[in-house]
Amino acid sequence: MELKDLENRSIYIIREAFAEFKKPAVLWSTGKDSTTTLWLCRKAFFGRIPFPVIHIDTGYKFKQMYEFRDNLAREWGLELVVARNEEAINAGVGPHEGKFECCTVLKTQALMKCLEQHRFDALILAIRRDEHGIRAKERYFSPRDRDFKWDYKNQPLEMWDQYQTYAGDEAHTRVHPILHWRELDVWEYVKQEGLPVNPMYFAKDGRRYRSLGCEPCTSPIDSSAGTIDEIVEELKVTKIAERSGRAQDKERAFTMQKLRALGYM
Amino acid sequence: MNVNVVIIGHVDHGKSTLIGRLLYDSDSIAEGRVDEIQKLAEEYKRRFEFAYFIDAFDDELKEERTIDTTGVMFKGKNLYTVTDVPGHKEFIKNMLTGASRADVAVLVVAADEGIQEQTRRHAFLIRMLGLKKLFVVVNKMDVVGYREEVLNEVMSRVSSLLASFDYQNVPFIPGSALEGDNIYRKSGRMPWYRGPTLIEALDSVELPERRERVLRFVVQDNYLVDGQRVVVGRVVSGMLHRGEELVFYPSGVRGKVEQIKVFGGELETAEEGDSIGLVIACQAVRGDVCGPSESPPVVTTGFLGEAVLLEGRLRADDILELRCGTRRVTCRIKEFREKIDSETGEVVKRCPDYISEHEAATVVFETEPLAVEKFAEIPELGRFILIRDNRNIGAGIVLETMA
Repeated sequence: MELKDLENRSIYIIREAFAEFKKPAVLWSTGKDSTTTLWLCRKAFFGRIPFPVIHIDTGYKFKQMYEFRDNLAREWGLELVVARNEEAINAGVGPHEGKFECCTVLKTQALMKCLEQHRFDALILAIRRDEHGIRAKERYFSPRDRDFKWDYKNQPLEMWDQYQTYAGDEAHTRVHPILHWRELDVWEYVKQEGLPVNPMYFAKDGRRYRSLGCEPCTSPIDSSAGTIDEIVEELKVTKIAERSGRAQDKERAFTMQKLRALGYM
Repeated sequence: MNVNVVIIGHVDHGKSTLIGRLLYDSDSIAEGRVDEIQKLAEEYKRRFEFAYFIDAFDDELKEERTIDTTGVMFKGKNLYTVTDVPGHKEFIKNMLTGASRADVAVLVVAADEGIQEQTRRHAFLIRMLGLKKLFVVVNKMDVVGYREEVLNEVMSRVSSLLASFDYQNVPFIPGSALEGDNIYRKSGRMPWYRGPTLIEALDSVELPERRERVLRFVVQDNYLVDGQRVVVGRVVSGMLHRGEELVFYPSGVRGKVEQIKVFGGELETAEEGDSIGLVIACQAVRGDVCGPSESPPVVTTGFLGEAVLLEGRLRADDILELRCGTRRVTCRIKEFREKIDSETGEVVKRCPDYISEHEAATVVFETEPLAVEKFAEIPELGRFILIRDNRNIGAGIVLETMA
């Protein structure tokens, strides 16, 4: 699709979510996809995002991600909510205990606590179908039960632009406005709109990060792409999977499905 | 050009395998993924399957069947989003979810089995969705020795099935997704076949030009932006111009477009698909549809529709909710005209008292005031979903509106 069509559909979805839910929030990892999603939210509401922006802080994020977060939060006037599982961080939970457990405790459970505290009934998330086989199965509006479980074997009917907008009183709905975008589209859009991106995406000494996560579990790829144009060119020919540098996806087969079934993003 | 393709057909006729084959032969599989699948196959003590590129749930691999729809993208002459749908009756709602996004359908029929239950049902359902472009792949030609007689036999039966759903002159492609014949690469094993491969057929698809249509704008919400009221929504058909006089229904308000707003700017005109804001001196609300004052949307409190039910049972006189555009209204099933078997498309009963899961019917709905259009004229406002207990339980199209 043309960038304009991608954008129009995403804005429509964001406005639907805002109209249908009492207390939505948007998740922001500070990466390219969720920063694009924040920008689309700004466009949907003519500048000011009328709901909180949640950043899940595992304590293991790269220093540059925190800097990028704080600068942009100020510049865009974001109502930032930082979700941290302090208890687990203080108890020393980390990837050494297993990546599956670490992701579950520091990300999924941190988010659960945040939801409980703020009573959000919808979470806008920047996942895309082309990132991972399991994300290709997602709906635009996807219900999660009170325990965050994704009943992936019984997903709602979602035809045309009619979404299921109620998950249950103690549950929430995940909203995925850029589900139909490709990685290449995101970068072309970043360029077109002049969006700020974390400098870690650009190559330094022959390596760059293609997907950003926690420092211990994210590795860079070999690349010489030092500008957005060069990234776009690289993506047109690459055969390397986008999340190849993300350890939690690869630990075992179906780890991603299991993580997501438990409410991982 | 962007083309959305849905692959439909009966279970085990090779839909997922066909998509896996398209991805594999077009070199769209990420590095290392083939090894991963190989390892998985060993773990599950199976042979390597192209379908494993698509079926991502472990239950799908264990049970060797597709449960939910998947969208994958790959680049040919066009940029394709290919949607896989499950071939089991129990997953029809997932099939409809996938098929409702498509411009083109590819019906996969196994050469050795021919027409089966889901072959018929899927063909019936895509007709209801208004999908006009259709190709048939007669798959598993390897199993029948690549014989032309088998193709002819299947082709004659499938053609007459499709003709009953108003699909004429549908191209048939004999192939084997497993062996790679005529999917992405031309096969040398069927010298008697001179037609295109599947990818050649898809590459030559022409989507209908957008015809000129009357303006319809669907209201999503009202925002206060810097002290100014902005009506936000989407242009679903036609063009919207600044300065134009618009009328909104069902609320009945009217006004002149002072500004077409987008973040950081203004537009002179907006076109189909645009998500915009209007500065206009009237109180339009969510659920309203607007049009030019000389050809306004028509409000109805009843219409004849065709609907398919996906869960439970629906009785005459039942009260439920219906959503069309952004408007959600209460409606009553005034009467069922005809119950239609969603497998054969045949009328099985006139004026039934109820319909059950997976059955279709022509239905007279009585609703709160609602702006709808005939599906044949403005499909975006001629299709609806049915909601009960906050669950989407059915879907349908508008055949005739009633005053």
